[in-house]
Amino acid sequence: MSNDNAAPSSSSAAANGSADSAAPRRNSKRPKYSKFTQQELPACKPILTPGWVISAFLLVSVIFVPIGVASLFASRDVVEVVDRYETACIPAQNRTNKVAYIQSSANKICVRTLTVPKRMKAPIYIYYELDNFYQNHRRYVKSRNDMQLRSNSSQDDTSNCKPEDLINGTAIVPCGLIAWSLFNDTYSFSRGNESLNVNKKDISWKSDRDHKFGDNVFPKNFQSGGLKGGGSLNESKPLSEQEDLIVWMRTAALPTFRKLYGRIEVDLNRGDTINVTLGNHYNTYSFNGKKRLVLSTTSWLGGKNDFLGIAYLTVGGLCLFLAVCFIIVYLVKPRRLGDPSYLSWNRSPGGR
Amino acid sequence: MSGGGGWERIRSTRGGRLSRETSLTGRTARTVRLGRVQPQAPGYRTIFCNDREANLPVRFKGNSISTTKYNFLTFLPKGLFEQFRRVANCYFLLISILSMTPISPVNPVTNVVPLSLVLFVSLIKEAFEDWKRLQNDMVINNNPVDVLHDQVWETIPWKKLQVGDIVRIKQDGFFPADLLFLASTNADGVCYIETSNLDGETNLKIRKAVERTWDYLTPEKAVEFKGEVQCEQPNNSLYTFTGNLIIENQTLPLSPNQLLLRGCSLRNTEYIVGAVIFTGHETKVMMNSMNVPSKRSTLERKLDKLILALFGTLFGMCLVGAIGSGIFISSDYYYLELQRGVGLEFNPSSRFSVAILTLFTLITLYSTIIPISLYVSIEMIKFIQCAQFINKDLHMYHVETNTPALARTSNLNEELGQVEYIFSDKTGTLTRNLMEFFKCSIGGEVYGTGFTEIERGGAQRMGAKIQEAQRSPHAVHEKGFNFDDSRIMRGAWRNESNPDVCKEFFRCLAICHTVLTEGDESPDKITYQAASPDEAALVTAAKNFGFFFYRRTPTMIYVRESHVEKMGNITDVPYEILNVLEFNSTRKRQSVVCRYADGRLVLYCKGADTVIYERLADGNNELKKITREHLEQFGSAGLRTLCLAYKDLNPETYESWNEKFIQAKSSLRDREKKLDEVAELIEKDLILIGATAIEDKLQEGVPACIETLAKAGIKIWVLTGDKMETAINIAYEHFVQGDQVEIARFMKEVVKEELKRCLEEAQHSMCTVSGPKLTLVIDGKCLMYALDPSLRVMLLNLSLNCSSVVCCRVSPLQKAQVTSLVKKGARKITLSIGDGANDVSMIQAAHIGVGISGMEGMQAVMASDFAIAQFRFLTDLLLVHGRWSYLRICKVITYFFYKNLTFTLTQFWFTFHTGFSGQRFYDDWFQSLYNVIFTALPVIIVGLFDKDVSAALSKKYPELYKEGIKNMFFKWRVVWTWAFFSVYQSLVFYHFVTISGTSGKNLSGRMFGLWDVSTMAFTCVVITVNLRLLMMCNSITRWHYISVGGSILAWFVFILIYSLLRENVYYVIYVLMGTFYFYLTIILVPIVALLGDFIYQGVERWFFPYDYQVVQEMHRNDPEDNSRAGLLEIGNRLTPQEERSYAIAQLPRELSKHTGFAFDSPGYESFFAAQLGVHAPQKAWDVARRASMRGKPKPSKKH
Repeated sequence: MSNDNAAPSSSSAAANGSADSAAPRRNSKRPKYSKFTQQELPACKPILTPGWVISAFLLVSVIFVPIGVASLFASRDVVEVVDRYETACIPAQNRTNKVAYIQSSANKICVRTLTVPKRMKAPIYIYYELDNFYQNHRRYVKSRNDMQLRSNSSQDDTSNCKPEDLINGTAIVPCGLIAWSLFNDTYSFSRGNESLNVNKKDISWKSDRDHKFGDNVFPKNFQSGGLKGGGSLNESKPLSEQEDLIVWMRTAALPTFRKLYGRIEVDLNRGDTINVTLGNHYNTYSFNGKKRLVLSTTSWLGGKNDFLGIAYLTVGGLCLFLAVCFIIVYLVKPRRLGDPSYLSWNRSPGGR
Repeated sequence: MSGGGGWERIRSTRGGRLSRETSLTGRTARTVRLGRVQPQAPGYRTIFCNDREANLPVRFKGNSISTTKYNFLTFLPKGLFEQFRRVANCYFLLISILSMTPISPVNPVTNVVPLSLVLFVSLIKEAFEDWKRLQNDMVINNNPVDVLHDQVWETIPWKKLQVGDIVRIKQDGFFPADLLFLASTNADGVCYIETSNLDGETNLKIRKAVERTWDYLTPEKAVEFKGEVQCEQPNNSLYTFTGNLIIENQTLPLSPNQLLLRGCSLRNTEYIVGAVIFTGHETKVMMNSMNVPSKRSTLERKLDKLILALFGTLFGMCLVGAIGSGIFISSDYYYLELQRGVGLEFNPSSRFSVAILTLFTLITLYSTIIPISLYVSIEMIKFIQCAQFINKDLHMYHVETNTPALARTSNLNEELGQVEYIFSDKTGTLTRNLMEFFKCSIGGEVYGTGFTEIERGGAQRMGAKIQEAQRSPHAVHEKGFNFDDSRIMRGAWRNESNPDVCKEFFRCLAICHTVLTEGDESPDKITYQAASPDEAALVTAAKNFGFFFYRRTPTMIYVRESHVEKMGNITDVPYEILNVLEFNSTRKRQSVVCRYADGRLVLYCKGADTVIYERLADGNNELKKITREHLEQFGSAGLRTLCLAYKDLNPETYESWNEKFIQAKSSLRDREKKLDEVAELIEKDLILIGATAIEDKLQEGVPACIETLAKAGIKIWVLTGDKMETAINIAYEHFVQGDQVEIARFMKEVVKEELKRCLEEAQHSMCTVSGPKLTLVIDGKCLMYALDPSLRVMLLNLSLNCSSVVCCRVSPLQKAQVTSLVKKGARKITLSIGDGANDVSMIQAAHIGVGISGMEGMQAVMASDFAIAQFRFLTDLLLVHGRWSYLRICKVITYFFYKNLTFTLTQFWFTFHTGFSGQRFYDDWFQSLYNVIFTALPVIIVGLFDKDVSAALSKKYPELYKEGIKNMFFKWRVVWTWAFFSVYQSLVFYHFVTISGTSGKNLSGRMFGLWDVSTMAFTCVVITVNLRLLMMCNSITRWHYISVGGSILAWFVFILIYSLLRENVYYVIYVLMGTFYFYLTIILVPIVALLGDFIYQGVERWFFPYDYQVVQEMHRNDPEDNSRAGLLEIGNRLTPQEERSYAIAQLPRELSKHTGFAFDSPGYESFFAAQLGVHAPQKAWDVARRASMRGKPKPSKKH
């Protein structure tokens, strides 16, 4: 830029001449004073003095430790029962070839028994947890069509959905790999003889139901191809009511993820044994994925996750420790602020 | 010029000379014709003057000029082309194209939006600058000019002017095009022009019309003029012109002497009439306007390396991802349906192609690692720094000359903060170039009382007290004359022991010069137009001694001599000037042959002592010896000296010589050389008269400035044309602070041995602790040998061991060579400062060229990168602006590096969890707006406002500048530190957010999806990165708060709106904000991320503080710098001293080029011109005068 504006300015100055040099001297070129051009804008000049360092550390620890304790308590309050079942639910004789078993049409009902370690207050959330399942794979994430999901009028729009887009030339609704691979293990619970009702309503985010999945879009041609990827859908219910699908289609961030299956709306007492009748249909065996069933309560912070609490406590503790260290250093070898002997030219030649 | 009696006489004799003149012109005409048939001549143009129809078929270009780069149609294509010459933009164009293909994980907007925004901003800037140029052009094009139309002068705008038009230019008017000079109101068909816009020389030059056209002055006459001009095609040579004027079947040769160039202005002439020859872009001045070679700052070149390193990182990351993807891909992941007809991209059976394609995918994904907006941001910052800070700094505004500082390029701001070597011209830069006649030595006697500043300084050091002689009450002190000695003033010289020598001395001063007079012919009112202030000072001195030169005609010099024979007797004495032997830098002398009214023929000569002494007649060794002693004495007092000599000629010798001279003068090839040779023949056996000493006053504040700069670790080299003694004295005076000084001084031959010895000596003394400071003094001749490639290294080593270097008697080319020796050999950042044409080469050769503006011509300024009015402003320019710019640009660059690396690394960590598929972590628009909106503004604010210590402290502690010289803030160590914390922070962002995000949130137990997590992470990144900026600020203005707060706010506003519009992130932020988790994370993650930097900064400051930090602490309780009051007063109220110097500045003065006789010739001897083998043309002034010289002396006396 400079290069460019230098040349013409010189030539133009030469050409139009000293209009200003001929002008009277009174025509001052004195720049006007402004705080901006003289670079004297009022400014605060923070200096990271030892005092500031120590107080910052103390402040952080004072704030963080209580939050950490609170979060940790919240997390500890949560009662979580986890049952890994992908191997257990395959009959012993079939365990050499799990994939063949899961793809066969054998009866895959399996019963698991869980013991409640602590009293669990309703609502108790039922999750399934998959492992090594790349819902965030690039091919997978984009394999959906939001327009199609939302409105009836664009149900033939299957762009992005390949290879699960069309069957015999007609569009699959919902199309794409995500919907196609819908999780289809089923769980039903009983405590002794009393069967526990699983409420599958309202397990998805409301915004998804209301906006992303249309109430006039009905499944069509779904899972009717040769290869079934996962669960089927009730063709008489609109997508906005297919909450399992909605939950499934909010793709997870990591290859290990939990998804909400339903709620048990009665309290469970300590020591209760829960029988789970489990329809083990979903194939995670091809890629050695684990399957877990999780029962969990929640706190104000959410499900069981000690991470935040521990992080807060660790950082708070670390800051406290650092603050103490710095205080000790300060007491042992105080640093006089602005000691001219620190200036490089006052030290030995050669400098820092 | 009021037509005095002299003119009448000349006119009356014109008839007698006519025959001679025609023979002369006939000869030149022949040569012109010869020139035209030369095969290499590109042809000529024929112009029919005063006949628009006849010129029509040729279609000459119009006179409107356009300096714009673009027009309406070419703006877009040409502007875009310019932009894509930048590698970064090209890279992003490539990435954008790549992101349109299916292999891209990101929507094209990710890359297209930032690129288009950057291009948009750049194009707007270009358009704005072009618009200003256009307006400037329009003003020029619409200037009025009088053109002949139907026998009357009609005023039309410049742009309507056509080739062949007859125009009238009034006094002080500018020539609208290149004109053929036809007639002038002055007698003798001459006019005076000022060419300062062309070459910066402010002395007036004479142009003379061809005699045949003198009469076409009035419209009635001019309309009859129907000439045909045949001349060369337009070219850019300012000093050449050949052509013929064919008028009434008569062919008259034309020379540069008849050409009035566009851009010059008319002086001392009521008006002139001319015919337009070249118009618009074909004028010589326009053809000369070329781009100054653009310089890039060293920091920017280092930035390129950083960008390369980033490319390397990018490639490494992509390679890791690509290999991972090749390993990962497997048909076991049946839900990806990798079996049926899957493209190569994901085909498990061809892992290699998967890896290759993923490589490209990842390149588009990680493209953000290259900071696209970096260049445009830096450009904006630098532009504002120049336009608003440097150009408007009141500290660098010089009241007396009404000159603010001027940054002519905005590329080099930060380079100013790293300068280690300053090469300074002496005259006009360190000194004022206000020459005052101070002392003289006549016939072995020193005259003149008073002491120079250097003598005072020397005496002070020695502890002696100087007895200031009482000035006589009648002492004259005018501009150019600061001399007092009752022995010779007011005619008292007649009572001295050798009045005849005195007389010769004064006459030599009054006659031997090339000064023009201006104004009234009275001693008080006359002003002298001189090519150099030295000359004016000498003529002024002669005036004060009673030899008042008051009028010059082409052949005569009139001197009003008082007291020659006896007191009170004043006579006007005419001297006929027969020959003038020009001054130039090789001759270093000037001679005039004149004839007294009584027929006595004398050659007067003045010049540098070396050349004069070589040419003195034998004998009178006593005088020579004494005078030489005096010369040395003057030299050591820092005075500029000249030797005066004369020689009586006998008419026969002269006649025979003059024939040779005329022959040489009219020769076509090597005329200069031949003239020099002829001059040698007569300039011998001279008789020494004496010597003059002129004081060149030091500029204000120079010693303090030099001391400050020296403390800042900057080494100052003085490259001067002065004598060695003067130079050494300057060295003593200013550079050598300590007492122990050892000057390694060597000259001429045995340079190699000397160099070796000096180097050993120097190294030896360097080894001894606190050894003496060394100063190297080297003269031009010696330098010529020392710059030989074989010795160069040794010279460099020696000079780097010295704390200061003085090169004296160096030529402009050598100045440039020395500069580039240090620039290339030592790889240090160099700055050249100078004021004159002779400094142009070194200004262009150095990293940074600084021109002194205000007093002198424009040539140095035109070649420079920065222009300041005074040498002392270097302190502000370097220590304040340079240091701050360096600091700021370093911060901007490292911060850009950090924020992009951090952001991209979070993507990279995510890649590991997506089966290396290249899935994007963030939404397209997050990624595309990250650089251009969410993090763009604060860093610019830092680039503008950050300052570690105030301007006053920067100057109080010049040592702070060393941090820039050592490049402390942009070392690889610094970059690695930033990179380390980038990695740390990106790990924190990614892992803290993903790990904490995998459990149910809130009481509802619902889970987050990918976009929830990534939005959370992005929020943390934006907040942290902006807060990190605040952490590195030394001063936080409200603009910092506004921009940082604004950026974070912009993100929230954006996401709150955006999440209502887009499918994948629909409602995400509202969901997030409905959880406690969001708020806890938003507190935790930035603090954890910044903890590392905070500890690092705290520890660094506590245990290893930077110098600026210590200074900050020392002055932490100082009140806000209130230099404001002082600044407001600059230019409003003056101190008494300022008032005095202001008054002096207000005196009428000739602003002219320094051509100190000690050496140095103005002109176009640029370093580059010399390298290209371009011959430096002679001065236009010489052309004018030479033409006015008659071929033969008149046989008869004038009266």
